[in-house]
Amino acid sequence: MIFSFETWQITLFSLSVGLASTLLILPFGIALAWLFARKEWPLKSVLETIVLLPLVMPPVSTGLILLKIFGRRSPVGHWLYERGVEIVFNWKGVLIAMAVMSFPLLVRSVRTSFAEVNPRLEQIAATLGASGLRIFFVITIPLAYKGIVAGALLAFSRALGEFGATILLAGNIPGETQTLSLAIYNFVQLGKDPEAYVLLGITVALAFLFVWCSEWLLRARGNT
Amino acid sequence: MLLRCRIPLADFELDVDVTFDARVTSVFGPSGSGKTTLLDAIAGLRKVSAGEIEVNGRTLFSSARGINRPPRDRGIGYVSQEGALFPHLSVRKNILFGANRDTYGKSKDISVNHVLDVLEIGNFLDRPVTKLSGGEAQRVALARAILSHPQLLLLDEPLAALDVGLKERILPYLRRVRGEFAIPMLYVTHDVSEVFALADWVIMIRAGKVIEQGAPRAILPSHWLTADPEQSQVENIFDAVWIDADPKAGRTRVRLECGREIVIPYMARPKESSLQVRIRGDDILLATHRPAGISAGNVLDGVIRDIEIVEGQAIIKVDAAAIFTVRLTVGAVQALGLAKGRNVFLIIKTRSCIVL
Repeated sequence: MIFSFETWQITLFSLSVGLASTLLILPFGIALAWLFARKEWPLKSVLETIVLLPLVMPPVSTGLILLKIFGRRSPVGHWLYERGVEIVFNWKGVLIAMAVMSFPLLVRSVRTSFAEVNPRLEQIAATLGASGLRIFFVITIPLAYKGIVAGALLAFSRALGEFGATILLAGNIPGETQTLSLAIYNFVQLGKDPEAYVLLGITVALAFLFVWCSEWLLRARGNT
Repeated sequence: MLLRCRIPLADFELDVDVTFDARVTSVFGPSGSGKTTLLDAIAGLRKVSAGEIEVNGRTLFSSARGINRPPRDRGIGYVSQEGALFPHLSVRKNILFGANRDTYGKSKDISVNHVLDVLEIGNFLDRPVTKLSGGEAQRVALARAILSHPQLLLLDEPLAALDVGLKERILPYLRRVRGEFAIPMLYVTHDVSEVFALADWVIMIRAGKVIEQGAPRAILPSHWLTADPEQSQVENIFDAVWIDADPKAGRTRVRLECGREIVIPYMARPKESSLQVRIRGDDILLATHRPAGISAGNVLDGVIRDIEIVEGQAIIKVDAAAIFTVRLTVGAVQALGLAKGRNVFLIIKTRSCIVL
């Protein structure tokens, strides 16, 4: 049987941690994207650049930064450790690495879809007595939702493909932190090519599905 | 209403200081003179550097007293040029969007059904707004603004995006709104005929400054020329009474105030009911001899009272009981040898006479 228990375990682990990381970044991503699209403040571009950095930096570098931040000897890592939370070399490390690496994609996509919402509609809603929150949830979000879903899909796919940052922050521990990407690398290293090809097939199928959905949504956005 | 505000813009400073108290006040001026900016300032959608804005005795903005109410607390209904309906909501949800807001002591004396009747929206309430025609969309935008129980209705060139035929169909709705609901309106336009058709008071602005204000007939010239010929208008607007109509011939006879009768397109109206007729100065032909064998419904004899040459165009006033203003090219004036005192014939097609 090609789909061994191990294959299932790895796929399920990747999907669930990927999903969790996407859900985790969604509220922050939407909030930040809205700020970027609608508000101006001094040095805004600096923050925008920082948010986008993980997109262009070598993932391994991002991983190293995360390791330094969350390692037990850093203030943050130490503080967390004292409260019984350990990030490094377990599934939470995978979660953090995925979240950080996919965040820029989410923000960029959602920001574009917010920018495409005509600000006049929000202004008119305000003259009709709507509060900022009501405008956001009744006008802005519904008009941008396709971009938001597409952005979330992109972020999710990026999370599944994460390798460099994950391996530094979470290691490559079978059954514990091993994602699809890490497992493929592992199997190839061990000369277990057939196992690697099965996982390869799964990643191609998933990637195809997500990109296709995301593109379909982005195209359909023009027709609303 | 008190409107005193200064807003720095890219090319000039908008500087307005007016008080007025009319049912419909028109802010009239060419594009780019700061009209929309002024409405945005009243609605609170734009920063005002200094001044005071007061509607119905309620201060919305005062730089001296540090008052700056947010848009949602101003009680201003805003109908913008493009309608700005919420595209993801049905007509019904659009219309009711602001229906529950506080009304600042004013009772909610406007019922939903009344508004639907006046604007004839009832039969497409559940349609998505993306499936509306331009005229329907504007009526929905109007209904939405009225039902938010505003103290003041701002209308930013609500007819500008519509083509001419549609304009003439929406104007009556605006007049009905004016008549049915006791909401003062501030109506921005660059179209003289809309001012005459709707406004009791007009504020003329140009490059951010108020150049004149008063009753439309008192201060508006029949021709309004700007640097942009596309925007220049020469209009003749006459009060008239309905005499009779012949549906088979497709014609209606009306009597202008001056006593002259003219023929306009067929329309059924009660006898002696009054109406306004608009004839563009570009739609009138001049002839030096009485033309024969011509299809136009109106040939009126008159005398040239004045010829004014402005930017290559000749603005000619012809006295044919009433004064008609006609725009010709300077070339046409020379070719016909037109001059002050000369007898001429005005030729006006029936279909060039438009009822406002």
